[in-house]
Amino acid sequence: MTIAAQTYSGMRNRRALVLIAVTLVLIVATAIWSIGVGAVAIPADVIINTLFNLDGEKQTYIIMRSRLPRIVLAILCGGAFALSGTIIQAVIRNPLASPGIIGINAGAALFAVSLVTLFPAVPQVFMPLAACAGGLAAAAVVIVTARTRAVSAAHLALIGVAVGFVCEAGVDYFLITSSDAERSAPLIWLTGSLWGRTWGHVEIALLPLTALGGLALLLAHRLDLMGLGAETATGLGIRVPRERMVLLTLAALLASISVAVVGVMGFIGLMAPHIARHLIGGAHRLLMPLSMLVGTLLVLLADGIGRAIAPPIEVSAGILAALIGAPFFVYVMLTTAAERDT
Amino acid sequence: MSIVLSGITAGYGKDPDVLANIDLEIETGGITVLIGPNGCGKSTLLKTVGRLLKTRAGAASIDGLDILTSPSKQIARTIAYLPQSPAVPVAVSVEQLVGYGRAPHQSLLGLKSAEDVERIDHAIDIAGIGHLRHRQVAELSGGQRQSVFFAMVLAQDTPYAMLDEPTNHLDLTHQIEVLELIARLKTEHGKTAIVVLHDLNLAARYADRLIVFKQGAIYADGTPDEVLTETTLSEVFAVDSRIVTDPVHGRPFCIPYPHAAAAQDGHGVDLKAGQERRAGAVSMR
Repeated sequence: MTIAAQTYSGMRNRRALVLIAVTLVLIVATAIWSIGVGAVAIPADVIINTLFNLDGEKQTYIIMRSRLPRIVLAILCGGAFALSGTIIQAVIRNPLASPGIIGINAGAALFAVSLVTLFPAVPQVFMPLAACAGGLAAAAVVIVTARTRAVSAAHLALIGVAVGFVCEAGVDYFLITSSDAERSAPLIWLTGSLWGRTWGHVEIALLPLTALGGLALLLAHRLDLMGLGAETATGLGIRVPRERMVLLTLAALLASISVAVVGVMGFIGLMAPHIARHLIGGAHRLLMPLSMLVGTLLVLLADGIGRAIAPPIEVSAGILAALIGAPFFVYVMLTTAAERDT
Repeated sequence: MSIVLSGITAGYGKDPDVLANIDLEIETGGITVLIGPNGCGKSTLLKTVGRLLKTRAGAASIDGLDILTSPSKQIARTIAYLPQSPAVPVAVSVEQLVGYGRAPHQSLLGLKSAEDVERIDHAIDIAGIGHLRHRQVAELSGGQRQSVFFAMVLAQDTPYAMLDEPTNHLDLTHQIEVLELIARLKTEHGKTAIVVLHDLNLAARYADRLIVFKQGAIYADGTPDEVLTETTLSEVFAVDSRIVTDPVHGRPFCIPYPHAAAAQDGHGVDLKAGQERRAGAVSMR
C-alpha cells in the first residue's frame, strides 16, 4: 500500500514533526533541570557527567536512586494519563471527558487504598492489579449502567461523574477512619506525587504502559471514526459497541496503572489532549503522540517545580500540574470557542 | 442486485414496534424516496438497514449480504448511510472528514492508498467543495457541512446510499443543490439512493419511486403519479389538498390545506371521519 504524498497533508505532517521535536527538546531540558532541583541542588554538568558516566564530578546516589526513577515515572505516567484522556474524549465525544471525570481514576484509587489499608501485608506489586480492577470496575459500571437505557455520550459522562463521586467518598472513608501517621502515606500518594518513587515502581509500570500505549497508537484511525458519532461510524463499518468497549478498557488500564504508581493526576488526562488538539488538530495519528508528550512535559514540569519551590519540602506534582496547566487550558478553551463562533 | 427486507419489525428500547412486518425490495438504480408524517417509521427503516437498530424480527440483505451476519466493513462497502444530523467532530478538516469515507476500504491502520486519494479528490470535486478543502468542518455553515458529509458518502463509493433527510435545516438553494447531486449520482454514476424527505413536492420531483409510510407500515408504494393523491394526503397526513401538475417538471404537485379550511370551501373530508380512520388503523396493528 502506498502512502500518497499530498502537499497539504505534507504541510500538516511537517508542522506536527516540528511541534513534536520542540516538545521533545523541552522534555529533555525539563528533565535535566528537574534532576538538579530539590533538597540537594545539583548543577547541570554534574548531572550530564553522571547520566553519561563521563569523567568529573558525579552525584550517582541521589540521581540514580532518587531523582531518575521519578523522572522516568513522570514521563511514563504523564504520557499514559494524556493518552487515556485522548481516547476517552474521542469515544465519549464530550470535551469534559477524561479518566478523572468518568470515574476511572477514583475507582483505581479506591481499590488501591483499600488494598493498602485492609491488607497492609500484601506486596506493592499487587497495587497496579488492584488499581486496574478498580479502574475497570468503575468503567464497567459506567458502561453497563449507561447501556441499560440509552447509550448516549452525555449519559456515559454523567454516570461516570456519579461513579467517581462514590469512589472518592470511599477513599475519604478509608483515609478518615485510619488516621495514624503510618496510614497518611496513601494521602500523599493520592494527590499525585512522585515523592519516594523508586525503580521498583518503574519496573511495575514500564512494560504494561509501553505495551498498552503502543497498542493505543495503532488504533488512531479507529478513534478518528469513533469521533464521528455512533451513527456515522456504524455506516463506515465500525462495530461501535465493541469498539467502545475495547477502547475504554484500554484507556481505563492506562490510567489505572498510572494511578497505582503515581496517584491521581486527574487534570493531565483532561488538559493534555485539549492542548494538543489546539496545536495540531483532531486527527489522532498526530494528536495521540503530541498529547502524550504534552502530558509528559506537564508532569515533569510540575514535579520539578514542586521540588524547587521550597526545598526540602515538596509540593505534589498533581496539584502543581493543575496550577500550571489551568491558565493555559482556559486560554485554549477561550480561543477555541472564539474560532467556532466566527 | 437489490435490497431485500422481509418481515422487518423494529423499535426502540422497550417501546412498542415502530416498524411492523415490513416487506420491501429496492432494485439497483434510481431514487427511492420515503415519505410520511413524523414517527411513521421511515427513519427507523434506514436505521435498521444501517445496522444502528437491531431488528426485532425479520431479515434484511443487501446484494445477498445479510446485514446482521456479514462483516460490518463489507456491508459498509456496499451501502452508505448519512444520518439526519451527523455529529460534527472537533478540529477536523473537510479533507480529513471526506477521507473517513474511505474507512471501509482500508486496513485497521487506515493508511491511504493511491486509489483512496483519488476517490477523495473526486468526491470533493463532485460535491463542489474544493474551496473548503482545508477549512475546519466545525466552522462551516449548515449547508456547507451537509455538502461535506455528502462528499464523505461519495468517497465511500458504495452502490447504495441511504440519506436521512439530507435537506433538513437547509435553505432553498442548498436543498435543490443536494437533491441535484443525488440526481447526478443516479444518472452519471449509476448509484441507488434511498432518501427520506419531508417536502412532498421535492420528493415527487426527484423520486423514481415513492414509498409512503403510515404508522409503521407501508401505506402506498409506486411512482409519484400513482402515490401522491388527494386520498393519500388526507389519510396519511390528515390534510386536504389539491394535486396539480408541476408545469416545469410534469410531476404531481400538491397544495395542502387543513381540514377546517377545506370544509369552508366544500372540498374537504370531514375532520372527525379522518381521525376515526386513523384510530382504526392503530387498533389494527
